[in-house]
Amino acid sequence: MKRPLASAASLVAASMLAISVAEAADQQEVTVWSWFHQPTMEKSIEAFEAAHPGIDVKFTYYNYSPEYITALKAASASGSLPDVIGLQPGSLTQQYREDLAPVNALAAKEWGDDWAEKIFPVNRKQMLMGNPAGDANAYMVPQESQVLAIWYNTKIFADLGLSVPTTYGELKAAANALTEGGYIPMFQGAADGWQNENVFLMLANQFSPGITDRAQTGEVPWTSPELVEAMTAWKALFDDGIFQKGALGAHAYPTGAQLLAQGRVGMMALGSWWMQESKFPPPLSEFVDGMAGFDFFYLPPVREGNPPSPPVGGIDIGYGLTKNGADNPAAWTFLAELTNGVGLQQALNALNDLPAVPGYQPEGDITDHTRALYDRFMADLPKAENQRFASPAVAEALDNGLAGVAAGSLDPEAALAQVQAATDKALAAN
Amino acid sequence: MSVSRAASEPAPPRSRLRAERLYLFALPAVLLFVVFIAYPILWVAGQSLYTGNRASETWAGLANYRAVLVDPTFWIVVRNMVLWGAITIPVQMLIGGLLAWFIERHTHGLRGFFRTAFFLPVVTSVSVISLVWVQIYAPYYGIAQAYLARIGITMVSSPIAEPSQAIYALILVNVWQWTGFSMLMYIAGLANLPGEVLDAARVDGASGWRLATGVVVPMLAPATRSLLLLGIIGTLQTFPIVHLMTGGGPNHASEVFGTHIFRQSFVLGDTGQGATLSVIVLLLALALSLVQIAVLGARLAPAKGGA
Repeated sequence: MKRPLASAASLVAASMLAISVAEAADQQEVTVWSWFHQPTMEKSIEAFEAAHPGIDVKFTYYNYSPEYITALKAASASGSLPDVIGLQPGSLTQQYREDLAPVNALAAKEWGDDWAEKIFPVNRKQMLMGNPAGDANAYMVPQESQVLAIWYNTKIFADLGLSVPTTYGELKAAANALTEGGYIPMFQGAADGWQNENVFLMLANQFSPGITDRAQTGEVPWTSPELVEAMTAWKALFDDGIFQKGALGAHAYPTGAQLLAQGRVGMMALGSWWMQESKFPPPLSEFVDGMAGFDFFYLPPVREGNPPSPPVGGIDIGYGLTKNGADNPAAWTFLAELTNGVGLQQALNALNDLPAVPGYQPEGDITDHTRALYDRFMADLPKAENQRFASPAVAEALDNGLAGVAAGSLDPEAALAQVQAATDKALAAN
Repeated sequence: MSVSRAASEPAPPRSRLRAERLYLFALPAVLLFVVFIAYPILWVAGQSLYTGNRASETWAGLANYRAVLVDPTFWIVVRNMVLWGAITIPVQMLIGGLLAWFIERHTHGLRGFFRTAFFLPVVTSVSVISLVWVQIYAPYYGIAQAYLARIGITMVSSPIAEPSQAIYALILVNVWQWTGFSMLMYIAGLANLPGEVLDAARVDGASGWRLATGVVVPMLAPATRSLLLLGIIGTLQTFPIVHLMTGGGPNHASEVFGTHIFRQSFVLGDTGQGATLSVIVLLLALALSLVQIAVLGARLAPAKGGA
């Protein structure tokens, strides 16, 4: 009696094994690396896998620095990059251009021949940034965009009787009032190069829209009067008490963001991604909940006769198809859905940032106020000035120059001369 | 007689074969060394002679070395590294030694508590330490400011924001973190001091300061040598505290070899110069270790018995 039972059990086990092996053979796998907010990415993957049951996405999350960029470097050297990698436009994409497959043909097949025209202009420009002359290939597809702005705490402003500053004098007066009221006036995480770049780009584009783009490509020198004035205005933000004391030793994340969310900061230069704070798990502060305590403005004119800073921004994050991934059709399917499909929609629902292409709206539980903020950013995105650098060495030289000027160890001309030297070297290398 | 004759005769083939087989036991260690240490060193040394990216690598000879040596940032790094080693190593030894002495000699029931308390920073995550110290240093909302405000002092800046102070502010954090390790090494040394030597010194009239400087400190020399060697290696390996607190800034003011190499290799994508810096650090570490061994000797273990 035992023997027939054992045989039947073996038969069932063998059948189940065969079925699971067959299922595994049908299941295609896509490997993805990114620094993208992990819970949001998991939602995007879940939505994608529901829409494509035959594809299994294996996502590996890394902190951006140093983990992600070291992992990419090591995997690139050993030829073991995953199918899809998260990218920033310009320098990061260019560093791995040799490992990436051009996506033009796949994108044209997916979204039509005019696929690139559907992407917001600033994103389109950044997508190709740093390509060698004559190379019109896209090595990354943008997923999300951002617009930089000055966020301010509306409740603190109301308590102190402040209104949105429209001149530099009003900005200074607001900063003084905030300081006297026991608040941090404008939190600047000036230990982070990226935050300094963002504010400098706001200033420079106020003096001459697009000037930093022209300086990167060698059309105007970094030592031109407008950029020197922008650098001088940058120093004044420290000297006039607009930034908090000790800003050069402060980090935007986590310190600045936490203080801003807690209502201890009056203003902070961040971007449209700040809206995602309202979708983080509770408990949320009264300011962050539904973005009830926040609104944004663009930097007011820092010199009489200037306009306010224009919107500055571009690609927040994009994705590239590696040469390993080019051999895996499922990898492109995932990349396409992540950047312009069900995956993107999930990221937008989490208010992670703005889409790289028009036609999307965040869905779900979002307050009218947050939706209005989102719509204002979306209206400004098509006219945004570029915030990215093609050469990491130029960005690095600018970061050092900004820190040196802020600390008083460099004057604006000397700092910008360093940036010019880095630009000359980068342009000569191309 | 038979023994000496046997020793002078060649070993029988079977014994020789057996002796050769014994070398196989070293094979795993040799393989690990070759794969994970020797090969990467040679690869990096090779990369230091090339320039450009992977697709367009070109032979550069010693051009990367020349470029690194004329770069002002390199000399800022050298200055910072000298300061780091010259301050952290003796200060950690001194405070660690004093802590060890007082804990071992003057605490009884609470000895375990004090040992643990002072060793705690060593086993705490550098990320946590960095976050906490950035907050301590911060004016306005910082922890130090909260206490200083009670006595009417307002911090006007953060030490890590000032180019002239940043490196010292980071050295202080490093000393705070690693003094517990020096203490532990000296506690081990003190525990191994031979009681009879100390007793003899006391009988001869040595006590207090005289006993400490004339007997205890010289007998702790092996622990001191170990700390010196580890301190020099640790100085050259410094990275996480600086990367997390200042990123080497402002404007390279707190740059160290680790952050400089990381920036060149991974942020700027200049593998050639990153590799060149790595080779320079390797040669420096090797030279300093050899000098130290030549001058101070190679015995690094804490003193044992009467030795």
